[in-house]
Amino acid sequence: MTTASLDPTGAVEASTAPPGADPETKRRARREGWKRRLPLMPAFVFVIIMTQLPFLATIFISFSNWTAFSGNKGFAGLDNFKTVFQDSDARSAVVTTIELTLLVVLISLVLGIVIALLLDRTFRGRGIVRTMMIAPFLIVPEAAALVWKHALFNVQSGLINGSITQFYNWFGLKNPPQPDWITSHPLGTIVTALVWQWTPFMMLIMLAGLQGRPMDIIEAAQVDGANTWQIFTKMTLPHMRRYIELAGLLGAIYIVQNFEYVYTITSGGQNTANLPYYIQQTFFAGTGEYGVASAAGVVVVIGTIVIATFALRTVLTVLKEES
Amino acid sequence: MSTMTKRIRARRTEVHNAEAMSHSGPALKTFGYLAMVITLLVVAVPLFWVVVTSFKQRPDIFTQPAEWWPKHPTTDGYHNAVFGIPFGSYLRNSLIITGVLSATKIVLGVLSAYALSLLRFPGRNLVFIVVIAALMVPNQITVISNYALVSQLGWRNTFQGIIIPLAGVAFGTFLMRNQFLSIPTEIIEAARLDGAGPLKLLWRVALPMSWPTLVAFSIITIVNEWNEYLWPFLMSDDSRTGTLPVGLTLLQTTDGITNWGPVMAATVLAMLPVLIVFLVLQRHMIKGLTAGAVKG
Repeated sequence: MTTASLDPTGAVEASTAPPGADPETKRRARREGWKRRLPLMPAFVFVIIMTQLPFLATIFISFSNWTAFSGNKGFAGLDNFKTVFQDSDARSAVVTTIELTLLVVLISLVLGIVIALLLDRTFRGRGIVRTMMIAPFLIVPEAAALVWKHALFNVQSGLINGSITQFYNWFGLKNPPQPDWITSHPLGTIVTALVWQWTPFMMLIMLAGLQGRPMDIIEAAQVDGANTWQIFTKMTLPHMRRYIELAGLLGAIYIVQNFEYVYTITSGGQNTANLPYYIQQTFFAGTGEYGVASAAGVVVVIGTIVIATFALRTVLTVLKEES
Repeated sequence: MSTMTKRIRARRTEVHNAEAMSHSGPALKTFGYLAMVITLLVVAVPLFWVVVTSFKQRPDIFTQPAEWWPKHPTTDGYHNAVFGIPFGSYLRNSLIITGVLSATKIVLGVLSAYALSLLRFPGRNLVFIVVIAALMVPNQITVISNYALVSQLGWRNTFQGIIIPLAGVAFGTFLMRNQFLSIPTEIIEAARLDGAGPLKLLWRVALPMSWPTLVAFSIITIVNEWNEYLWPFLMSDDSRTGTLPVGLTLLQTTDGITNWGPVMAATVLAMLPVLIVFLVLQRHMIKGLTAGAVKG
């Protein structure tokens, strides 16, 4: 997990009792404090139950022999995990998931920051531009994946190859190249489509972050003659760090779980099967091995934590060294 | 609003713009606009294509070279999308499910984030890690145990069967917790010394300082619920509880070949409600007077 998100120092340590009060008053104050916190607790407990039950069930199932046909739910020990790690499909799915997630998160994060910075200025038509920029995120992912596959990347009728032809015609050139994008760059096409849909998500969080900058301090820095680049690297970027980590981690979580794009664009062919696709195949299409599918799920969780922590740390260390 | 606050706000916008604009020597400024135009194009072309295709007749959809404007514009796609499937029912179901789920998630997310950031209790960070771990379990997995449970309860084809398993909110808890932690401790302490209880502290102090993040959280939640596919698909057999994305796939497979016009038309129609929500909410992403409530 990232350093900032687990850093407990933001917590307020002040107790309700005034300093130096005698123990009896303190105890009463504490009891009083709990009574006031109570209204928050049902919601909190509900959230914990709702998020934890499926998670615990998954861990439980990952250690069992449960399949769609056996009905035998005996304890399997680490067998399911062994299966996952010994299966070459599963291993390649792990590698693909890592590649896919890193590429999409890093590219869309950088684009998101740049676009957020551009959109944070005031200019004519900002509302319209902002709305356009967010629109890809609003489209149903299944439909978006279909559009990318059939309307954009298609060899004969796709918009990309169509534009290349048009471009060549304009300049009187012959034989425009008509690459089969999905066959020649299977992962690249998925990454492109995912970046298109997820950049707005990053942008949204970055915009929220930019709005929270302490403008009075920045103003003071300007008065003191700091230039734009200095303000950006010394003030804006450090302020945004928390938001960058957050957007990176949340984006990684969603993209690790992405299923629709892989399923629609390549159907997992040419080494593009990621873990969710592998899991879906194992569970729904294959032998219905709940245990193995759940074990793969647990691996995804651990993998995400490791990747997200590692990748973010690296990027942020580089950023810090620069500033 | 008093003239005083107006003046402060105007001043702040001015400073904000000055900061943004001072990115700009003329060269940088041009570069900025150029970058924006290119990005806009890349973002807009697929969108444009969806809209244009939705107005095309079937034979015109896959032609070479690509047809940038429908030669024979038609609203058949929309007609098919709305009358070919029980569109009204799907829309109603989507509105009910998204409305209830988003409201629940926003309230629960804020309350639990608040508990995890500004209240002290034993094991707080452990609870937080556990909630985050839950966020990372792929849907495809939790669906297995959820499905078993919900069908045992006889809740298939019911709204509660779709809504309750989705109501756990790890994402918002995470986002809002980080936001609350970024509020300067001086402010929280001052409010506490003034005798504000936890709920008042949340409502009067923490939330007003967190609007942009709360709005981002709300938008992301509403969009995700609106587009949620796998779970409603597994839970619904027909238009009694099916949502728009489920109906969309129905449209696609009615006659074996992909029905591009209607699919694109339905995609546009399905996007409109969330687009409106975004338009309404985006104005609140601008932080007003609360920015810099602490003077250094």
